[in-house]
Amino acid sequence: MSEMTWLPKSTRPRLKLPVSAGNRNKQPSGISLRLEGSAKETLEQGRTRLVMAGAIFAFCFVILAGRLIGLALSGDDGQDRALTHNDTRGIAAYGEGMRAEIRDRNGVLLATTLKTASLFAEPKNVIDRQELASKLSVVLDDMSEAVILSKLASAKNFVWLKRNLTPNQQFEINSLGIPGLHFKEEEKRFYPMGTLASHLLGYTDVDNRGIAGVEKYFDGQLSGSGTEPKRIDLSIDVRIQHALRDELSRYMSIFRAIGAAGMVMDVKTGEVLAMASLPDFDPNRPNDFSGDSKFNKVSLGVYEMGSTFKTFTVAMALEAGKVGIYGGYDATKPIRKAGFRIRDDHPKKRWLSVPEIYMYSSNIGASKMADDVGAKNHKAFLAKIGMLDKPSIELPEIGAPILPPRWNSLETMTISFGHGLSVSPLQLSTGIAAMINGGNYVNPTVIRRDLNKGLLVREVISAKTSDTIRRLMRLVVEKGTGSQAAAKGYLVGGKTGTAEKVEGGRYKRNALLTSFVSAFPMNNPRYVVLAMLDEPKGNASTHGFRSAGWTAAPIIGRLISRIGPILGIAPIDEESDAVKKAMFIPINSREKKLASF
Amino acid sequence: MKLNFTCLSVLLVAIVSYGLYQLSYEVQKLERDLQILHASISGNEESIRILKAEWAYQNRPDVLQTLANKHLPLLLIAPYQVAGLSELPEIAVSALTDPKDVPRPRLNPKRDYSKPVELPKGAVRLATFSRTGEPQ
Repeated sequence: MSEMTWLPKSTRPRLKLPVSAGNRNKQPSGISLRLEGSAKETLEQGRTRLVMAGAIFAFCFVILAGRLIGLALSGDDGQDRALTHNDTRGIAAYGEGMRAEIRDRNGVLLATTLKTASLFAEPKNVIDRQELASKLSVVLDDMSEAVILSKLASAKNFVWLKRNLTPNQQFEINSLGIPGLHFKEEEKRFYPMGTLASHLLGYTDVDNRGIAGVEKYFDGQLSGSGTEPKRIDLSIDVRIQHALRDELSRYMSIFRAIGAAGMVMDVKTGEVLAMASLPDFDPNRPNDFSGDSKFNKVSLGVYEMGSTFKTFTVAMALEAGKVGIYGGYDATKPIRKAGFRIRDDHPKKRWLSVPEIYMYSSNIGASKMADDVGAKNHKAFLAKIGMLDKPSIELPEIGAPILPPRWNSLETMTISFGHGLSVSPLQLSTGIAAMINGGNYVNPTVIRRDLNKGLLVREVISAKTSDTIRRLMRLVVEKGTGSQAAAKGYLVGGKTGTAEKVEGGRYKRNALLTSFVSAFPMNNPRYVVLAMLDEPKGNASTHGFRSAGWTAAPIIGRLISRIGPILGIAPIDEESDAVKKAMFIPINSREKKLASF
Repeated sequence: MKLNFTCLSVLLVAIVSYGLYQLSYEVQKLERDLQILHASISGNEESIRILKAEWAYQNRPDVLQTLANKHLPLLLIAPYQVAGLSELPEIAVSALTDPKDVPRPRLNPKRDYSKPVELPKGAVRLATFSRTGEPQ
């Protein structure tokens, strides 16, 4: 078998044997031996197996070679291996999944989430505690050496040294190079504007869950539970918010009031441009402030707003046709009804026309006017302008109005001048906006409205009545109780409201709530501005008076001068004929002008 | 002939495998680079976010008001102090004025006005600052 070779198929394997003499087959020498029988079968089998094995190997190698060439030429099956955002091997884009930002209407950052480093120590791995404490106390200036040492002295494996370091502090601690100190990355909510819009924004707890204000109302959208976190653009403007807060706190200290509130609202869109309530808090550290300072007086607080309600009374009477602008009521004597006495703060003791009732803020006139309309219609009208229901705004802190237990003639008379029905300043502003914008009620909002989308409005009074109300409000500032609110050039109109606070079911004579609700410019009102002071005290500059005309109206005057240019309202000449014509209202006074002697 | 064929196949296999391994290493290197780039993008995004918060913090209206009170002689604006663009006086430029007489802004001697170096196609120029502090 030693001479067996691989031969083409045509030749069979042969075994060359030397021709022996005793061979019976007389064949010439060189003739190969043909095997027959079992020997041949064995040889054939071996040959077949060999071929089969060879073929299988060849097949495998061809596939491998083919794949090799294929890979070398075209790459990886044509699959695109470019890394997408999801395939960044653990490095998610920064800010992904973090609580979204809150911005104002101009894109100024109001709330953002930052990753901060928190410092912790493993006391067991600290080599020299004294050295660590002395070096660390230099970097962390609010922690003394002794405090750090006492923290390190604990037997625990893990000690928080300081949460939420600044990047500078982290860098300096890193460069100290002390073993046993480690950082842990945490997310923290930051409010760069501090106290500025604290009640509106609200705040979050340590787990970054919103627990007040917009943070709570839009918690799902901001944290993106199940979806991508989405940024929120508020309707407020930080410049106006600052002007409002600044003026409120200024006058709060001048009149030593215990609180103040105010808001600026767009009359056409219902967007709240500013909303402030004092005292306020810093949402960066809400735990340092009392619950009192976290109370939103604008939306959660409900108050008897006083004479500002006469705007609604007059509008209702004019709309119902019970009295005309030339009509009026006798306000000579106070009204006595069911043990109550309704009297005027500025008694004229004569017949007053409707404009006079409004400008001199006559309670007697307003009561008679509302009584003429009737309790049922009065209630229906106030319900129509949203005074009797919780307003709908994107805040969790919404106060429900407090209605009188029954609503008869007496209640109608007191509510006509703003006593007996408690509403929030937000409701009042929204109602006033409806009175002057042409008579359409627009839902208030703290979210920037897309003006291209339709605006849902509800007509509550006619455009004609609305126009009369504008002129009446202007009259109050021009000649009536609100003269201090006049911001020259901005054609301010408004109405004062002085109410005694209710405590224990009784009115407190010495605790007032003064408010002034105004709008400007009155020939085409764009913004409603409201200011309210809680328990102002009179001073020398007000001759001891503390009514709204003396305490709340000056806030409006200064505030509108400040925000007018920001809001892009050009000052106009108030004495020009066109403006005088637009603001004219016949007063029809029966006041005796000449002494009759 | 057979020998040639065998040698050729072996050589081909060697070349192709070498090429493939080169490609594989190259891809690995590129993926590492990409990862580094992603990390640095992420770091930059973090910085941007912090800087934006810092910017908002430094531009708080009350801070600006304090600074304005300190450095600017401004009081509450009176209505006559507000004017529109249309109220600004317009200075008519005569068409006959010789362009040579019209003063032109002088070139800043410190600034490099030479043309920026052309980058190869597809290259990205990262934001850098020149020595004088001008963005390039």
